[in-house]
Amino acid sequence: MRHLTEEELIEHYFSEDANRIVVETHLRICGRCEQDYDEISNALAVHGPEPPAREPGYGRRIWQSIQQPLLPYPSKPQHRFFFVPRLAFAGACLLLLIATFLAGRIWERTHTRPSQAVTPQAEKERVVLFILDDHLDRSERLLVQLNHAVSGEEAAGLLLQAEARQLLADNRLYRQTLAGAGDPLLSAALDHLERVLLEVANSPGPLSDAEIARLEKEMSTDSLLFQIRVLRARVSSQQPKSEFSRKGA
Amino acid sequence: MGNDDHALIRAVLAGDKDAYGLLVERHSESVFRVAFRITESEADSDEVVQETFLRGYRSLADFHARSSFRTWIYRIAMNSALKTLDKRKAEASIPVVEEYDDGRPGIQLTDPAAGPDRLLLDREIEARRHAAMEKMSPTERLAFVLRHLEGRSTEEIAAALDMSQSSAKQAVFRAVQKLRRSLAPLWVKS
Repeated sequence: MRHLTEEELIEHYFSEDANRIVVETHLRICGRCEQDYDEISNALAVHGPEPPAREPGYGRRIWQSIQQPLLPYPSKPQHRFFFVPRLAFAGACLLLLIATFLAGRIWERTHTRPSQAVTPQAEKERVVLFILDDHLDRSERLLVQLNHAVSGEEAAGLLLQAEARQLLADNRLYRQTLAGAGDPLLSAALDHLERVLLEVANSPGPLSDAEIARLEKEMSTDSLLFQIRVLRARVSSQQPKSEFSRKGA
Repeated sequence: MGNDDHALIRAVLAGDKDAYGLLVERHSESVFRVAFRITESEADSDEVVQETFLRGYRSLADFHARSSFRTWIYRIAMNSALKTLDKRKAEASIPVVEEYDDGRPGIQLTDPAAGPDRLLLDREIEARRHAAMEKMSPTERLAFVLRHLEGRSTEEIAAALDMSQSSAKQAVFRAVQKLRRSLAPLWVKS
């Protein structure tokens, strides 16, 4: 007999389980799960202090205390957005979309260049962009995990470090290869990324909350994540051009 | 209610400042409740309510009509409450968990006629609950407060915390896990 997981028991407590009857039946016949469920219920029965009731007119008192420094919004035409019926707005968007699509098709037909052979340089560039996109994607995921990491989750912390070590080696290679490409934004981002990866990879144990906070503060991981996203968008937008030239060939 | 809120927001953005007063009157108590669940201090919560509605007014132009005003204002309130909590921690004005302060708002466990053993147990329960709340990450704490104490749906929590529903569920799950681990030794004792 498979016992219920803690997650299933918590879902059951909050009545979010899909197969409620199955869980209830199981709890009736399985002492161990019943005990676990009781423990969860007991823990959740412990409440902190209840919010004290507010006096009548509390909201009005709050409004009076804050309204003085607030300046009225100037009546701007852009707020008329709210008054446009939603259906009309959706229709206008659809029309715009269709018009854009048709314009694109016409443009493609009238401006298709004669076939060109793909030069080895262009092919190489396409491969680099493809690999770089993958590298940035993995780095972005690592930074997101890092920003949401919870200390004490040792297995997750170790995985994060292993991934950082692997990315570090790749990152060095890309940074060195692209150093002479004359792209300061990309070089700076890869350099910044390398420093963060180095910190994560060389951390003596699974990262604690304090270390994660320090990384966020000292290494500005948030701004790095933003840079990576910008670069990814740029790299992705460059790829179809290469694809186009390949199609042309 | 939601549509009325949108009508009031339109009025505010069109220059009617007083329409915002109606929004404040409508939502201030629930904002206070959420703030109190996080700060556990009446005075701090009142400050959070004021700050929330001030910030709400100033960024009302960024409000997207497709979401609910309540969810949006909750998000601002929770961020303000967490900031207040951090500030309080930095000032080291919160009592050490083990040294339970009688001056804190009363816990809802004790029967006034309870004996000293029961009082002692209740204090330990409160201290452990408090410690568990401290161990929760801000996201877990907010998700837990909204789900368990305010009875909000996972969908609403996900919208308020700007995350997917499965992440919101996971945050609640981890919070309950921490609370359970913290209180488990007491169930064994009793």
